Order: sequence, then C-alpha cells, then structure tokens
Amino acid sequence: MRIRYFIPFFFSLLLVFACSAPTKEQDKVIALPEFVDFQAPDKNPAELTLDLFPLANLSDYGFFKGVMRSLIPNEGVLLYEPASSLFTDYAFKSRYIWMPEGTAASIQADEEGTMDFSEGTVIIKNFFYPMDFRKPEEERRIIETRLMVKSNEQWEAYPYIWSDDQSDAQLKVIGGEKQVSWMDEKGQPQVINYIIPNKNQCKSCHNIHEQLVPIGLKAKHLNHAITFKDGTHNQLVKWADAGKLSNYSAVAIYPTMINYQDQNQSLELRARAYLDINCAHCHRAEAPASTSGLFLTYEETDPLRLGILKTPVAAGFGAGSFTYDIVPGKADESILTYRMGTNQVGAAMPEIGRVTVHQEGLELIKQWINAM
Amino acid sequence: MKIFLHSLKTLSPLLILVLLFACSENSTEMTFDSSKLRKASQEEVDRVVEAFIMAQDGEVIEIPAGFYAIKTQLILDNKSNVTIKGAGMAETVLSFRDLRTGGEGVKLVGNNIRIQDLSIEDAPGDGVKSQHSDGITFFRINVTWTNGDKSKNGTYAIYPVQCKNVLIDECIASHSKDAGIYVGQSENIIVRNSLAFGNVAGIEIENSDNAEVYGNTARDNSGGILVFNLPSLPKPDGIGTKIYDNDIITNNHVNFAMPLGEDPNGNTVTMIPPGSGIVLLAAKDVEIYNNRIHQNKTVGIAIANYHVTGFPMDAPNWSPFTSNVYIHGNDYQRSRKIPDLSKEMGQLISVYNAHGKGKSQDIVYDGFWDKSLSSSIEGNPMNICIQEAAMDKLRFTLFDLWEGESNIKSSKNPGFFNCSLSISTDVSSLSLAN
Repeated sequence: MRIRYFIPFFFSLLLVFACSAPTKEQDKVIALPEFVDFQAPDKNPAELTLDLFPLANLSDYGFFKGVMRSLIPNEGVLLYEPASSLFTDYAFKSRYIWMPEGTAASIQADEEGTMDFSEGTVIIKNFFYPMDFRKPEEERRIIETRLMVKSNEQWEAYPYIWSDDQSDAQLKVIGGEKQVSWMDEKGQPQVINYIIPNKNQCKSCHNIHEQLVPIGLKAKHLNHAITFKDGTHNQLVKWADAGKLSNYSAVAIYPTMINYQDQNQSLELRARAYLDINCAHCHRAEAPASTSGLFLTYEETDPLRLGILKTPVAAGFGAGSFTYDIVPGKADESILTYRMGTNQVGAAMPEIGRVTVHQEGLELIKQWINAM
Repeated sequence: MKIFLHSLKTLSPLLILVLLFACSENSTEMTFDSSKLRKASQEEVDRVVEAFIMAQDGEVIEIPAGFYAIKTQLILDNKSNVTIKGAGMAETVLSFRDLRTGGEGVKLVGNNIRIQDLSIEDAPGDGVKSQHSDGITFFRINVTWTNGDKSKNGTYAIYPVQCKNVLIDECIASHSKDAGIYVGQSENIIVRNSLAFGNVAGIEIENSDNAEVYGNTARDNSGGILVFNLPSLPKPDGIGTKIYDNDIITNNHVNFAMPLGEDPNGNTVTMIPPGSGIVLLAAKDVEIYNNRIHQNKTVGIAIANYHVTGFPMDAPNWSPFTSNVYIHGNDYQRSRKIPDLSKEMGQLISVYNAHGKGKSQDIVYDGFWDKSLSSSIEGNPMNICIQEAAMDKLRFTLFDLWEGESNIKSSKNPGFFNCSLSISTDVSSLSLAN
C-alpha cells in the first residue's frame, strides 16, 4: 500500500525538481476558513449621510439585511440586470441600485438611452463564485462588492473586499488579489488568482470624457424583463411604477440590446452585443480607447471603425503577427480575436478585469468574423 | 511595402538570413543597475499606490529612494497641479515586472501634471501614459526594460496621447518594442534634451500638431526620429513639426518589434528598416535642420508617403501624402555598413537606390505625389525642399514606385527640390512655463 503511493510521489518530486514541471503557485488551492453568518446591523440606507462616505464596511450602509453573506437586499434596494453581461473571469454577479427616497432616474434622448441619476444614488455590484457552477444556488464565495456613489454631481467608486470568512466586506482602495477555486459546468476544477482592481482602475472602463460613469445602467441594457420578487417585469416599467424613473413614457420606444447568450438571436446581433458590453465602454469616441479609432458600440455602423480591414495604431505586440483588427472570414488572422484569446499582460483585451480567456465569448466572435 | 514583397523575397533569402544573424545589432545597455537599490517594503509600495489614489489637486507626491515592485497600476485620476517626484532617476525605481493587469504601469490624467526624477521599469505594456491632459511634463525620468530578451519588452516608454501642452525634458527612454518617446494625437509639444536608445523607434511624433524636437540624442534605435500621420484616428492629420539640433546617430539596432524572420504586422513601426535616421510618413509641414545625422547604415532621412505601407488609404480628413518639408543645414556622415535587407523598405533602398547596390543613402524620397495637383513630380507638387551645403556629395535617391515591384525606377538629385519653405511652429509659452 505504502509503496504504491510512494512511487508516484517520488516520481512527481523528480518531475518537479528535474524538469520544473508545472506546479504553478495558483494550482495549490488554499483552504478557506469556516464561513461566518454575520448579522448585518439594523441600518436604513435612507438615513445615510453622504458626507461620511465611504464607510469602512459594506454592512455599514444597510443595503443588505440579515446574514450579510446572503446578500438580501433591504427595503428600497432595487435589483437590476443588464441584458448582456461583462465577462469577469467567470464570476457571477448580482446588481442593485439604491436611490434616495423621493428621487428618480431619467432617460436621456441619445441612442443608448443614457440615464441621469440623483445625488445620493448608489450602485451596488457583488462578484461571487458558486463552489459548484452546476449548483449555483448552493454554497458560494463572495469576492468583492463595488459601490458607485453619486455625490457632488459626480460618481465615485469604492471597492470592498470580502473577508475570507465571508462575514463582511471592507473598503480597500488599493485593490488586491484573491485565489478563487470552483467546479465548472463540466465538473472540472478551476483555480485562478482573481484581481480586484484598485479604485482608480475602475475608471479604465467607467470613463466618458474622463468622468466616472455607470456602464450597465442605460435604457438599452435595462429595456427587458427580469424576475423580481413580485413577478416578471420590464425593468424600465418596474422602475417607473416604483417612482424611480421620472420621465418614462409608456408609448415611447426606448433603445434595447439583446443578451449575447440568447441562441435565438442572430449571430450578428449576438456578436455586436458581446462587443458592446465587453469592449465599447472603452472603445468609443468619448472613452480612453478612442486613441485606437476602433469603436465597438452596438450602434456603430462604419465597417472601418468596427475594425474591418483596419490597421492598429498603438497595439504594439498586442497585434501579434497580424495586420488588421478584423479580416472578414478569417477569425484566426484577426487582431481582435488574438487579443481576446491571450492572457499576456499588455496584449490581453480587455486590459483589466480578466486573467483568463472567455472561451465562449471568443468562440462567438470567431464565428461572427468567419461568417463575414 | 507590399508591392515589393515578391521580387525582393526571391532576391536571396539566404543572404538576408546571413546578414540578419551576422550583422544585426542588439543592445541591452542599462543606464544604471536598479538591482542594487534597497527594496521597498510592501507597506511602502502600498503607500505609493494609495498616494496616487487619494491625490488631491495641488499635491506633491514624493516617492523616496528605493526599488518598488508594484503589482497594480499607478493611476492619477483627473487632478490638477500635481507633481510626482522621486529622489532621482537612479534612486527611485518603480518596477512593474509583476503587474498582473492593465495596459500601462503609470497613467496620468489631469491638468498641469508633472512627473520627475524617477525610473519606470519593465511595464508589460506601456511605461508611463498620459491621456486627455492639458499641461503634462515629463522631467528627468528614465523609462526602460531590463529583459535580456527584448522580445518581452513593452510598447511605448513615455506615451502622451490626446494631450495638450506636452513637455518631455531631460528624459531617457530605452529598449521599447515600439517607440521610446511617442507623442500621439496631441498638440503643442516639446521633446528636448532627452536620450532615446535601444528602441525600435527612438522618438515618434504621430498625428500631432505644433511640435518641436530639439537637443535630443536618438542613437542605437532601429529608427531615430519618426514623424507619422496614420489614417482613421480621432485626431486625423497632424501638422507642424520642427526637428533641430539633435544627434541622430548609429540607429542600426535590429527591428525587434516582430520576432526574427516574421513579416511586419499592422503596426507601421514593424516596417522600419534598421539604420534609419529620420523617417517621415504622410507627414505635414516638417522642418529638419542643424541635426547631426551620422552612421545610420540605411538612410539618413527617408521621406515616405503612406502608399509604401500597402495599407488601405481611404480615411476622412487625412491625406496619405507627405507635404511641405524643408530639410536644410544638417550634417551627414554615412556608415560603411551594409544597408538593411531585413525590411522591404531597407531592401528597396539597398538594392534600387540610384547610387549602386548596397550603398547607404543620405536622403531618399519614395516619389509618390498627389496626381490631382500635378501630372508630374517635376513641379515639386508636394513642396519637398532640400537645401544642404554639399548636396553634390550627398547620396540622394528619388524613387518612382508608381508601377510597383515590376518596374522600380530611381534617379539622383534632379534639382527641382532645391527650394526653401517657411514652416511655423510656436511652443514659446510651453518653453517658458517650464
């Protein structure tokens, strides 16, 4: 018995020392402490004082009640979901918005239906990993909660990192790194070193004309039905009924974007929705990646701006051995898919928010390019 | 240069390979050894990261001497009148070797921002980038990569883009895989008294207006100083660059923007032949004077139009042609080395110049012109003016590439470029302010 174990052990040692076999640091799964059912203090977000922001702990705001790690929203904390979701290393997300009593959002007339929010509005986004992706409702580990707060007519971002015992999350402006492990949909174990961005990195994506802005809170991302506690409703209608959307009109036609995962939609729309939510926050005229001239919004119609037979500008080694962002019919010769498919820092796109390749997203974009 | 690909490839692949391995020059020269510096503790590193995040208008962020291994980006977010100050470029070193995500090590956004007296090493992407800033000064900073294998190096060392009022003064930029000092889509620019070496491109001014580049040394890059205008950018065409009083010498470094033996990709810099002093590409209103252009093995000054890239040229508010160029009073010294054969533009110059195979050139002009302005080049429709003292002793080649690779023609100085031009730039306010 012993010998049978010993030999493979000896061999693996040999491999490690002789050939430096791949024993990457991150493959050693770090054991987590017992999770703690910490009760959120009884707080009412309506009594929050903006001047005291940011607060040290997530529980200090009163956005969640009961056991903190259950993330049960308090009264008036409204669930929302964009139609398509940004890829963040396969993390699951739950999103809420808090608008102070008596205030409401409004929809602007632009083609995306950008929204205005009142002073004191807080957007809350939780990032978590179910232990087993095949049972997402069971045990999970929350990694971080990001708050965006509207005060003094501008947004501020505050990253909160969850303690390993899952009792609560603490403000940490310099970000951090957490090892995360899970069982994927195929039952394969996965381990990554998840990066929590520092406060100012938030603006790498949330940036229009160098002002911090929300991304998913636009009419085009919210103009679809989701399941609330009281049933399934279009989010814009739900907000309007709750008095949280001041200028909603039942007869107006608002922009809408599809869910890129919806197989019933056309390949074209799915690919464009994917590029919009994953790239266009930066790749648009008003945002940091305007330097590239590559614009990937759902609304863009110019083939050159979309990257078709467009040469790069400052891509450096991000261009790989390729000439154009998109070569119609040739996904594997396109810079776009090269940059989505690499983890090399400086070449990987998006620049932050992932250390793994989104295989399903990459496959979708490859199909789209190959079908051109 | 797609038009030449075929004919030149069959020229002699073996010869090219031999030359590549035997003669290509490579530099890993370091200005100082940062490994001897005291390592900053994690607390000290975190303090620097926090200082950037919590910075207030008018603040001076001082970074004491030490070697800081930083795993996250240092970002200054839309602040005014902030100075970031190290203890000296050989004393304060910010190393981004361990950066896990992010396009650049340091990013500076705001008005009247100054970074000085420190070094930035080994950022996976760009070293220090500034975007959408009005008033950005890089003073006595050193940005480099310390990898022995330069294929691992990052893209730009010092990278202001979409900025106004840019001053780069007494800086050192080395070993970047693209341009050491790259100013893109900006206006009102001074690059002076700086050193760029071991990069693919030493100093590059791209899609920018009103720039002066003077008192610099660009040595041992593949290309010394570049003025480019690329199509389809938010800032379409840059106008007005003066390049004067620079030492542009021995820019014979192998072009390592692509792995050895691989064809250029879509980045124009991957086409630059080693041994290029100054390269103009679709440039507008450029004056080049009183420079020492020495020992660049392929060409001292290359005047090129975007046609040579072989890329699509249809873009709004942008012209593929280089126009209004005045070259005068420069000092040339040719190299005895064999001109470049690793890039198509190098092959063109080496093989098809008007002075004989393998002879390095002082000035070449690719000979494309806007045919809507004139039916022939003899009237000098693009206003290319060259007045050098000993013009008869210089090697000048005018190419005719209109018929592509099948019929490349070249001629010596035809005389009709002997003219002068007035190029105007005004950076006086910027110069005085700092």
